[in-house]
Order: sequence, then structure tokens, then C-alpha cells
Amino acid sequence: MTASIASRKSKSPRGPIVNTLTSGQLPRFVELYTLAAALLVGAGILALVGFNVVGWLVVSAIVYLVVLGVMSSLVENRRKATDRVVRGLVSTAFLLAIIPLVSTLATVIARGIGVINWTFISTSTSNVFDPKTLAVVQTEGALQSIVGTLIITGMAAAMSIPIGILTAIYLVEYSLAGNWMSRTVTTLVDVMTGIPSIVAGLFAFSLFSLLFGPKAFSGFSASVALAVLMIPIVVRSSEEMLKLVSMELREASYALGVSKFLTIWKVVLPTAIAGLVTGVMLAIARVIGETAPIFMAASFTNNFNSNPFSGPMQTLPVMAYTGYKFPTTNIQGSLDSAWGAALLLIILVVILNLIARIVARAFAPKGLR
Amino acid sequence: MKLKNLAVAGTIAIAATVALAACSSASPTSTASPAAPLSGTITSGGSSAQANAQTAWAAAFQAQNSGVTINYDKSQGSGGGVTNFLSGTYDFAGTDAALTSDQQTQSQTLCGAGGALDLPVYLSGVAIIFNVPGVTKLNLDSASIAKIFNKKITMWNDPALVALNPGVTLPSAKVTPVVRSDGSGTTNNFTTYLSQVQKANWPYPASSAWPVTGESAQQGGSGVVSTVAAGKDTIGYADQSSIAKATAADIQLGTTSTYVTYSAAGATAAFTEAASANPSTKGDLTQALDYTKISGTNSYPIPLLSYDVVCTTFKTAAQAKLTKAYVGFIDSTIGQAVAAKNAGSAPLPASILADVKSSLASVK
Amino acid sequence: MVILAGVAIFLIVQAAPAIAANWQTNASLTTGPTANQASFWTYVAPLIWGTVFVSAIALVMGAPVAIGIALFISHYAPRRIAGVLGYLIDLLAAVPSIVFGLWGIFVIRPFLLPLTVWLNHNLGWIPIFGGQASATGSTLFAGAVVLAVMMLPIITSISREIFLQTPRLHEEAAFALGATKWEMIRLAVFPYARSGIVSALLLGLGRALGETMAIALIVSPSLKFWVQLLTDGQNSQTVAANIALNFPIADTLQRQALIGTGLMLFVILIAVNLIARTIVARTGPGARNKRAQRKARQLPPTDPGVIATADAAAGPVGATTVATAEGVE
Repeated sequence: MTASIASRKSKSPRGPIVNTLTSGQLPRFVELYTLAAALLVGAGILALVGFNVVGWLVVSAIVYLVVLGVMSSLVENRRKATDRVVRGLVSTAFLLAIIPLVSTLATVIARGIGVINWTFISTSTSNVFDPKTLAVVQTEGALQSIVGTLIITGMAAAMSIPIGILTAIYLVEYSLAGNWMSRTVTTLVDVMTGIPSIVAGLFAFSLFSLLFGPKAFSGFSASVALAVLMIPIVVRSSEEMLKLVSMELREASYALGVSKFLTIWKVVLPTAIAGLVTGVMLAIARVIGETAPIFMAASFTNNFNSNPFSGPMQTLPVMAYTGYKFPTTNIQGSLDSAWGAALLLIILVVILNLIARIVARAFAPKGLR
Repeated sequence: MKLKNLAVAGTIAIAATVALAACSSASPTSTASPAAPLSGTITSGGSSAQANAQTAWAAAFQAQNSGVTINYDKSQGSGGGVTNFLSGTYDFAGTDAALTSDQQTQSQTLCGAGGALDLPVYLSGVAIIFNVPGVTKLNLDSASIAKIFNKKITMWNDPALVALNPGVTLPSAKVTPVVRSDGSGTTNNFTTYLSQVQKANWPYPASSAWPVTGESAQQGGSGVVSTVAAGKDTIGYADQSSIAKATAADIQLGTTSTYVTYSAAGATAAFTEAASANPSTKGDLTQALDYTKISGTNSYPIPLLSYDVVCTTFKTAAQAKLTKAYVGFIDSTIGQAVAAKNAGSAPLPASILADVKSSLASVK
Repeated sequence: MVILAGVAIFLIVQAAPAIAANWQTNASLTTGPTANQASFWTYVAPLIWGTVFVSAIALVMGAPVAIGIALFISHYAPRRIAGVLGYLIDLLAAVPSIVFGLWGIFVIRPFLLPLTVWLNHNLGWIPIFGGQASATGSTLFAGAVVLAVMMLPIITSISREIFLQTPRLHEEAAFALGATKWEMIRLAVFPYARSGIVSALLLGLGRALGETMAIALIVSPSLKFWVQLLTDGQNSQTVAANIALNFPIADTLQRQALIGTGLMLFVILIAVNLIARTIVARTGPGARNKRAQRKARQLPPTDPGVIATADAAAGPVGATTVATAEGVE
């Protein structure tokens, strides 16, 4: 930009004065035309070396960007050319990224949907033994995992959201920037983001073994492990969001004689609520899918257990993981239930996400975009 | 945020109600049980090799004793099982390797002077599975197994392989060996076999971690099985009970020219020939396997054994009674038959079952 | 913070015996996953290399795309679509890593296999594409692609939220000066969002560095320094995946060794964070004046007289047309 400003200053208008509102513009829908042309050219090139969809899209994207850039810099000017190319790049990045993400969702839904029915959701895994044939028939159910996931994640969230947001408020609103306390806290939070999840699980389990004796497997110790993972994420994102609340808003509030606490409560938090909720949801989403700390701290069970303070509990990600890694003799059946658990997990997250959004909307001030 | 927490609390409350409802409706599945029914919870875990058998055993045991809950955590692995057992977390641990002398010493703080007992519970075999288009039957001698997995034989039409398989057209394609990336009892068993039988071609010691690099390493037996199945010209090893529809090779018996297909009876026979008691404490039933002794015509050359470890003295008599009853059930003829039926394992020989019974009698 | 101290102490206490032990003679450490290592450091070094390497590759692939998507949603896409897209991305951030792992195994691995062979065949002279190409697809490359995909939603969600917070007045001021859309983004959005982007990248990188299951499921590892992405069973292992793979089988001392590698992962993350913080401090808005010291309240310079950005946000959006008209020399 600095370069372009400089060049604008140095160049004085030369030649006949043209209508600056219309000259040097590519026609309106040029990007669409170029895209269509690029797709054709891409198909042509690929036809020579062997056609495949991915290659076609990649080649077309490159052709599109190059052609548009060249055209624009010839007809318009370099700055506009850059602008158009960047617009193209950004859109391409978007399309490029959507493919794997949609593919993930599509795979999970396609493979999981067949498994999910009311029986799968409303019963826990049961094994029925037939004394006559000695056969054990296993019916896969997810109830024990759904309940386990909700309890463990819920308790982790209940612990880490207040701690996380309060820490963020302290960092942004109360601590003097650059003092040792805030620097220490920030560094500690940074470090905490780096705790490998399996270590968090071990830590929680060891802690509970020390406190409550050796049989310490419980949903609660798993939720402590998750809280250890979750707090730094909540702090990081909330801190970022609170910082973005414009200083003028706070100053306006102070100018009206409002106390610091009320300013934070009535002005800062509502303004940042959408971002805070996003951050919290990201954190929940991050930990709800954790596998390793759960089976370290809450062990594994196919039995139903809704008491978070005693006995092993199972969660959906653990169910998905064990279904894949330790299949029963019916390998396909285990794999199916793994995908079913994965899909249920995503559905659960969507529901939580919706709830959070509604809450955020209810609290957010009017008129924010 | 208050609302959020309320919502969470609400969810928990709902979950709890559902839980209660489910509990009350789930119980009446029990059948009439003989004598005084046992009740309580057994917390255990370890080896994933015996996981499916444990599921079957637990179901069968609970069918007779509806008050018993058995949690077997298969995600811990043998090492995790033993570690948790030694710290007192588990009532018994499932492990593919018997306790080391260090661990035996450690167990005395938990189990009293008698230490802990390794009781054989699960017998299966290591299968060599392959996926070569057009090949449905493959004979492998121990030397070529060692060479394939040591990257000395790299082509399927290697003269050594062709000589072993008259009448089979082996393609001119590269061999892709698929191995375990995670430490495992299956790997330990397989490398023990190779290091005992093929010292010349297998310079590595027995190890739970795969020693050769540059091969496709996959997580879990299921990872190996699915990668072998999905790939082309692949070969891998896995617990016989977990290979599903994969094609397994016939393995050379000792140094003879007999090639043995896996059978449960073959694994039992091989175990009887190879095993010799190697007790680390009184009543312990650790078995040392000498693979070179396997010689019966049907004996499968690579048997795989897994133990359950229990204390000689439990903290409480009730827990001892419960665990003894369960392990006793596992090592009964019917328990072994349940595992064979549902987990594809091989039944342990009757002599071992008798030994387990007498060892368990001393547990208190 | 007590928790953190607890975790740190726990790690150090647990790891110390293994780090101090003699790795060549100790009965436990010379077998199993920790066999054939001269010391703890020779064991952990390739792991660290593998972790950093695969995360860096994932970041190089993922970060530009992620920021691109965030920009697309915040500044290019029509408003209505943007809301839906933003929601979709948030949803994807919620896809658990185990799902990405399974997806990587069943979809990405076979999908990348032809590309792997092609790259190896045609670009094999570039070291990272060289070596014996994998026949099963369990390459570091596949792992890095999955990691990149996993990072996308995280980086995108946070940077999008921050891009949206750019004061509308700054954007309109840029347009009023005749800036094109891209110039406006460079002038008004990026400087404002810089610390936020770095933060988002760090969170993404944190996820990549600590990622366990996806890597453990997909990559076929070994304990080596290795740069060739497309080989099989040669790839450097990552710390977290190595812990997950070997923890179950490990005995007490081996577990402590694995926890020691976790401690090293910790150290790396501290280093990464420090570097990133320094970058933010050096390049943040107004780094050349004293504002750098006010990092914690990194607010952009604002025009006097502006009361609230909320008002501006409600203002007209028609600036674009004016800007294009005036943007011509």
C-alpha cells in the first residue's frame, strides 16, 4: 500500500483526461465469465493428461487467477489487479477448505446414520448370554456414553467457564498491562494450552488416587482432566474478545460515573458476549471429543453409570475409539457403532451450540452486527 | 453465563432422571441363580487380546449373578493393566506378559507376602495374514517369515517363496509388510517366536515394540487387519481371533515340511507342547513358551497366551470371594467354551485349568 | 493456576526417574518401546523433531487457507450466507479429533495415495517428496493434511470473529481514501487483528502439536529424524502419538519416560508461545511508539470524536461503490 500511495503521488495526470468513473474498468460480470472460461481450459488441459475432478478444479483455479490478474492489470491497474486476485484467492481458499470439511461431515453422517435409532440412543450396550448355546449376543447401545459425555463435559464446563472468563477479565480489565502478575498469568495460560491431553488425564487420575485411594476411576476425575485442558482455551479466546471491546465504550461508561464492576458487567461482557460464547463453545467442542484423558481417568465400561463420583464412565469419543481399535468379533458391527457414536457426538455438539447461540443472542446488546 | 450453567445443570438433572429410569427397567433380565447370589463390582482391565473373551465371560457370569457388575477396561493395555493392578486400582489385571520379578516384588506391598499370581486364561494364535490378488493359499516357513518381516525378502516372487508354494502363481510385486505401531503383546509373542526359531534371520530380541523400521506400522490389531485388507500385496500379523475374513497363511511346523492351518485344537496342542511352568512365587502359573518344542502334526506354531493377575491376599474378603468366583468361572471348562464360542479363542488344556483351580483355592 | 503448578510438578516428579536413569543398562528401559536408546535425549529428540515438523507442515498448509476462509466469511461473502457459513465452520471446529482420525483412515488415506505416488514419481528430486513411496498411504503427508484440516475451523472461527470486530469507521476511512477492498483489508483489518490472528494460529498450532489420536491412527511411524513425507514406516513419530501408542504396554519406568517426552512437549509449547508473543510485540500496531508496552490493551489508534463503534456499525454499507469510483487515478 505504501508503494501504491507513493506511486500515486509521483504520477501526475497525463494525456487527455478521461472519465474516471467509467474508464479502465473490466465489464461487470467478468469474474464469472473468466471462471467459466477457466473451467473449460482446465478441463481441456486435464483431458490431455488424464481427467480427474480434483486436478480439474486445481488447474481451473490457477488458470482463473492468472487470467484475471493479467486482464485486470492490463485494462485496469496493478492495485485493482491485486484486489481481484486476492478476492479470487480468498474464495478459492474457502472452496478448497469446504471440501474436506464437508467430506468429513458427509462421511460421518453416511456411515453413522444407519446405526442410530431409538434403541441405540435409549439403551446401553448389553450382552445377553444364552446358557444353551453359550452364545453371547451383544446389542450396541449408546446411552451410557451419551450420559457420560454430558455429565463429564458439563462438570468440566461448570468448573472452567467461570475460572476462565474471570481470569480473562482480570487480565484485560484489572491487571496493569505488563506487570509481573499479568505476565505470569499469561505465560502460565500459554503453557497450559500445551499440556498433552493424555498427561492431563494421568494427572487427574493420580491426583484422585492420592485423595480418594486407588479405585479412583470416576467421571469427576475425567472432568477435572478436561477442565485442565479447557481453562486455557477459554482464557485465551475470552481475553482476545474482551480486548476487542472498544476503549471508548468503557470510557463513555466511566464518564457517566458507572463503577468499574458495573461497566464490566453491563457494557463489556454484553458487547463481547457473542465472541465469548464462540470461544466457550470452541473450548467445549475441543474437550468433548477428547479420548485419551477419559480412558485414563474414567476408565472404560459398557455398563451404565450415572454417578460421576464413583466407578468408570464411558463417553462417546471413547466409544468411537474403542469401537474402532478394539472391535468385537463382529468387526463391522463395532465399526458401525463407532461411526454411530461419532455422529451422535456431533449432533450433541450442534445442540449445545444452538443453545449457546440463543443464550448469546438473548444477552447481546441491540444493534451489534 | 448463569443461564449456561443452569442449562448444564438441567441437562445433568435430566440425565440423572433418565439414568434412574433406565436402571429400574434394566434389571429384570436376570435368570434364576443357584445358591447365594454374589453381588458387587469388579474393576479390572489390561490386555486387549482377551477383551472380547472378557466381554463374553462377564455376560455369562452376570447372567448367573445379576448383582455383579464387571468393568474390564481394554483400552489400558497389558502395561496399564499391571500398573493399575500394582497401585491397587484393579481387582485383577489382564496381561499378555507375566509379571517380571521386579513387579512380583512390588506386588507384595499390595498383596502381602504371597505376592500376586499369574493365571493363564486365554489362548489363541498369531496369524500371518496377507492380501495378494489371486493368491488364496500361502505356505510360509519360519525363515521366510523372518526374512519378509526383516525386509530381506522384498518381492512376492522371490525364489524362496516360489519354492514353498508349488502351483501358486506369485506376482512380481513388492511385499508390503504391515506391523503394529503401538506396543503390544501380540508383537511380543511374534518377536519371541521369531527370535527363538530363527536366530540367524532375526537378529532382534523379543520386544513388545516392533523393532524394524521402514514398514507400514498401524495402530492396533484392527489397524493391521484393515490395512492389510485395504492394501495390495500386503502381509501382516495379528491375533487369530481378530482377523475376521482376512486370509491367513499356513505356517511351517518346526523345521519339517508340514504347513499348519490355524485351528483352536492346534493352538491348545501347541501350548501343551511348548509350555513349561516357571513360577515366580508359590502358586504362580507363569508359563515359559519354547516354540521350538512344538511338533505335533496339527499344532499351530505360534500360540498366544494371556494371563489374569490376582493377589494372593485381597484387601477385603468379600472382594476376594467375588474375584475368585469370576476368575474361577473363566478357568472352568464352561468358561473356556464360552470364550471359544464368542471370542474365537482356543480352550486351555484341562491340566492348566486344574492348576488354576488349586492356585485360586489359596487366594483369600 | 494452582492446577498448572500441580500439573508441572506432577510432570517433573514423574519424569525425573526416567530422565535420570541409565538407558543402556536399566532392565526396563532396554526392552519394549524404549529399547536401543543411548539416553532419554536420544529418545526424545526424534519425537520432538517429528512433532514440530508435522505441525509446521500442517500450519503452512492450513493457516493461509484458514485466514482466507475467515476473510471470505467476514468481508467477501454476502451477509446472509456469511452467517450460515460461520455457523458451519463453528460446527466443524466441534468435530472431535477421533472423527477426523477415522475420516483420515477411511477417506483421506486412500484419497491421497495416488497423489503420493505421483508426487514421489515426478517431484522425487525434492528431498521431502523423495524416498520409497508408501504403498498403504500411512504417510506423514496424510497426517499433516488431516492436521491442517483440523486446524482450519479453529483458526477460522477466531480470526473471523476478530475480523468482524474491526471498527467499521476504520474500514470506511480506508475506502474513503480510495483503497480497494484488499488494500482496505491490509490497512484496516490486518493491523487491527494481528494479535488475534497470531493467537488463533497459536491455538491451531497447539491443537496440532498436541494432537494424539488422528496422528496415532494415520501415520506409520518410526523413531528417526526424517524429512521424506511420503515414505512408510520411516516418518518421525510425534510426542503425543507416541505416548498414546506406547502408554498401554509400557511398565512403570517406561511410562515415566513417556511422561518425560510429554514434559518436553510442554517446553516446546512454551518456546513457541514466547516466540509468537515476541512477534506480536514487534509487529503489532504502533510497535514503533510506546504503545508496544501497552500490549495488554492493544487497542488501535482511533479517531477523536468517535463515541462508539456500535453506532458506526449501524451506519450505511454503501462505501464500497464510492471507493471504487474514486480509486481510479
